[in-house]
Amino acid sequence: MSRAYRFVLRLAPRELRESHGREMEEMFADALAASRRRGIAAVCATWCAAVGDVLTARRRARLHPLDTYRKGTTMGTDIRYAARALRRQRGATLLVAAMLTLGIAANVAVFALINGLFLRPFPFPAPDRLVYINTAAPKWNLDVVGINYPDFDKWRKGQRLFDAIALYDGAMFNLAEGGTPERVRGAVITYDFPRVLGIEPILGRTFTPDEDRPNAPHVVLLSSALWKSRFGGDRNVLGRTLRMDGIPYTIIGVMPPEAAFPNEALVWVPMAGDPNQKYESYSGDGIGRLEPGVTVAAADADLKRAHQPVWDAGDKEHIVTPFVRPLRDTFVHDYRAAVWTIGGAVAVLLLIACANVAAIMLARALARRHEIGIRLALGSSRLRLMRQLFLENVMLAAIGGVLGVVAGRWMLALLLSLLPDQFPRWAVFTVDTRVILFSVALVGLTTVLFGWAPALHAVRGDLRSAVNETTRGTTDSPRARRTLSLLVGAEFALAAMLLVCGALLLKAFDRLQHVDPGFRPEHVLTAVVPLSEGTRPKPEQWTAFWTEFESRLAAAPGVDAEGLITCLPLAGCHTGNFFEAEGAAPKPDGKDPVVLWREASSGYAAAVGLRLREGRFLESTDARPHAQPVVVVNETFVRTFWGAGAKGVGRRIRYRGADHAWMTVVGVTADVKHYGLERPVRPGVYLPLANDPRSALMVAIHSTGEPALVASSLRAVVRAIDPEIPLYRVRTMDEWMRLSLAPRQALAWMLAVFAALALLLAIGGAYGVSTYLVSQRTREIGIRVALGARTRDVFRGVVTRGLAVVSAGVACGLLASIPLGSAMGDVLFGVSPRDPAVLASVAAILLATAMVANGVPARRAARIDPMRALRTE
Amino acid sequence: MDLLKPHHFYILLALADGDRHGLAIARDVQTQSDGRVRLWPATLYGSLDELHGRGWIEEISDPGESERKRCYRLTRQGRGVLADEAERLGRLARVARARVRARTGGA
Repeated sequence: MSRAYRFVLRLAPRELRESHGREMEEMFADALAASRRRGIAAVCATWCAAVGDVLTARRRARLHPLDTYRKGTTMGTDIRYAARALRRQRGATLLVAAMLTLGIAANVAVFALINGLFLRPFPFPAPDRLVYINTAAPKWNLDVVGINYPDFDKWRKGQRLFDAIALYDGAMFNLAEGGTPERVRGAVITYDFPRVLGIEPILGRTFTPDEDRPNAPHVVLLSSALWKSRFGGDRNVLGRTLRMDGIPYTIIGVMPPEAAFPNEALVWVPMAGDPNQKYESYSGDGIGRLEPGVTVAAADADLKRAHQPVWDAGDKEHIVTPFVRPLRDTFVHDYRAAVWTIGGAVAVLLLIACANVAAIMLARALARRHEIGIRLALGSSRLRLMRQLFLENVMLAAIGGVLGVVAGRWMLALLLSLLPDQFPRWAVFTVDTRVILFSVALVGLTTVLFGWAPALHAVRGDLRSAVNETTRGTTDSPRARRTLSLLVGAEFALAAMLLVCGALLLKAFDRLQHVDPGFRPEHVLTAVVPLSEGTRPKPEQWTAFWTEFESRLAAAPGVDAEGLITCLPLAGCHTGNFFEAEGAAPKPDGKDPVVLWREASSGYAAAVGLRLREGRFLESTDARPHAQPVVVVNETFVRTFWGAGAKGVGRRIRYRGADHAWMTVVGVTADVKHYGLERPVRPGVYLPLANDPRSALMVAIHSTGEPALVASSLRAVVRAIDPEIPLYRVRTMDEWMRLSLAPRQALAWMLAVFAALALLLAIGGAYGVSTYLVSQRTREIGIRVALGARTRDVFRGVVTRGLAVVSAGVACGLLASIPLGSAMGDVLFGVSPRDPAVLASVAAILLATAMVANGVPARRAARIDPMRALRTE
Repeated sequence: MDLLKPHHFYILLALADGDRHGLAIARDVQTQSDGRVRLWPATLYGSLDELHGRGWIEEISDPGESERKRCYRLTRQGRGVLADEAERLGRLARVARARVRARTGGA
């Protein structure tokens, strides 16, 4: 308390503080103790009174300065001068501060994104030692294959440079205890997963190696979120059971929130892999913790060495190769291009803002040349003057910086609310120390960027001419004018680049929206229907369920067509397989194409409006026992295996390997953009669903009715058969489509908004500079008019000069945007960076606005009354 | 001459009863003014410095208290100022009483 009061006392006049400080503290402590007995309000009142008391004493001392002498340092004086100069030209100061705020805020917001995605360490001990492990199959065109458990077991035993390695795989579970059934996200993990991440359970323990074996008792770890929501944070939860998919699991521990990385899992169960499993099953991801000081490259080599026995045993051609890479690369790969594009855009925006501010400050400094000249003549040092001008800049930048950080936080919140679910769940976006340091550095940089021009020009130049320039309104130094023109030109060049990039992205987005998805996305409702394997352990039970489900659903009100499939287009799923085609030429490079594998019920084609190119779609008779095996393929399949223009129907294909049976192609469908409208189509097959029972499927329903009503009839159908089955991802196909386009849409619009802001700044800059130049030439123009120049000539003179600068800038910007557009590459979705319509419209927009920006001051110049112009000067 | 400021008057009044240090003065002032005048630290010590500068009070060291607590004593001049002020206030009070009584009596 007394420390706080001592702080208050620093406001008191110094003599008073020095001679009576301790007694004053004591007295205040006495008053405070008395007030405490009367409650918090009295304490507050005491503090207020004490502060008021000190401030009053301070004012009294200033009004009656008996013997106080203020020692002002030159620095203090300069700061006061600078503040006064800024206050005097309030309009310009506000304008400059607003521009800087805009530029800095945009950069702070985008940097916070970059920080959250790429720079903030993961919330685990020694996060730099964490790596991602998986396998690739370059010969099969697969970047990420997944991990085969027996291989992993060999790595775990053979590796030497890892502290530990673990496997994890996503999984979904049906929780159906009390209340509505719920589908929760979970993960299966090997027992050493918590050790790799370096996390401890907040309650209980994690899995033992014995629990991570086939046929071990069912145990489960809860996330703290599920623990709180389902069990109310009860500490006696250990040992209780949790029924998932109809199977009871014993709860052995609760994990801390950060364990949700990377999939936001709510429950964890042991992977219980079998090291001696006979078949190969590649799925899941690996994660490892390196020994201290081990590089990723060394770890990669170590893992490949540990993998050698696998190659020796069965994979002589080295089809599957393990790899190690930094953990972060794996999860932020998709964001890199987009975030750096936006980062570049806001950097350019800040550059334009700086150019603008530099121009304004230069004009202001030039207007003060006379004053500065006199001060130089009176013996002021150039250094001192530069310092003062510099201080003005620093103060402006600091104002812009503080406001920019505040506005940046808003902008960040706005960005995040406009882009829901676009970022990984583990990423945290806040204004932390790193963002603040970045902002401070940014303020420093902007000060230099916009401060150099005015500081140099104002102080340079010869003294006599500055003082002699007693008549204002003459043309100022050509060198300064060149600098102003350069700044305006540069602004337009930068704005042109941003506009071209924004327009190209918008055009690409527009083109993408008109891409044919290969099916009819309108009026289709989709959902995932998962069965609990605990209550329905036998595949025959699944088949029975789906048969009943389809027949009830087809009869439900409002349902025109319905179908089941293992994986809907645009839903982000993929199952690949390899096929041999009868009579197909072998691939020259020996790389077999990965084929998109799906199983569908006969109603699926009608439900999503698949277009048939040849033959027919699957029919329910295809799945009868002893029926001839049939398959439906897509156009790309036919083209890839049998060449362009070939017919598909009647040909035969089989799974790779001589022991598989041939299947006859009975139909060829149009290509469906399964992976997204902008992604290439793979060869694809549809197989009859009923031959291969599944415990979870996706359903597609065609109905012209209200999606919400269709969804409720779907729920009613499921509930009628089994009330414990949850439905999830209930979405229309249009929504899937929108979701798949959302990142690109967001990128295009963000860039367009930044480009528009850049344009606005550039117009402001051009207008300001042109106005300034005209005001400086009032006398000259007056003389010209007096000598017979016509209004039109004056107008044209001003506009021509302004447009010449802008045209040069725009030309440079358009030229520079072509390599920039080429660098954007795939993002442009085939729109040429030289797209004439885009380039021409950007040039037209910029020149038209420049025309206006110069035209207004030019009109003013043309109206100059020569008599008044000459008389007032 | 300027009128004596109220809190200056109260401080002189407190010291007229005997030598006191700062905190004791503040307490006495509060008592004498029925709690209506409360001297906060900066005001009190600012006033003490000012009165000291005018020569109306002087600093003495309190034998009973520790060194750092300074005691104040009314000077002869200060006592005179207080007496003059008391006299002035007394006159005012008499006038005021007479006028108030005259009005109420006439009504």
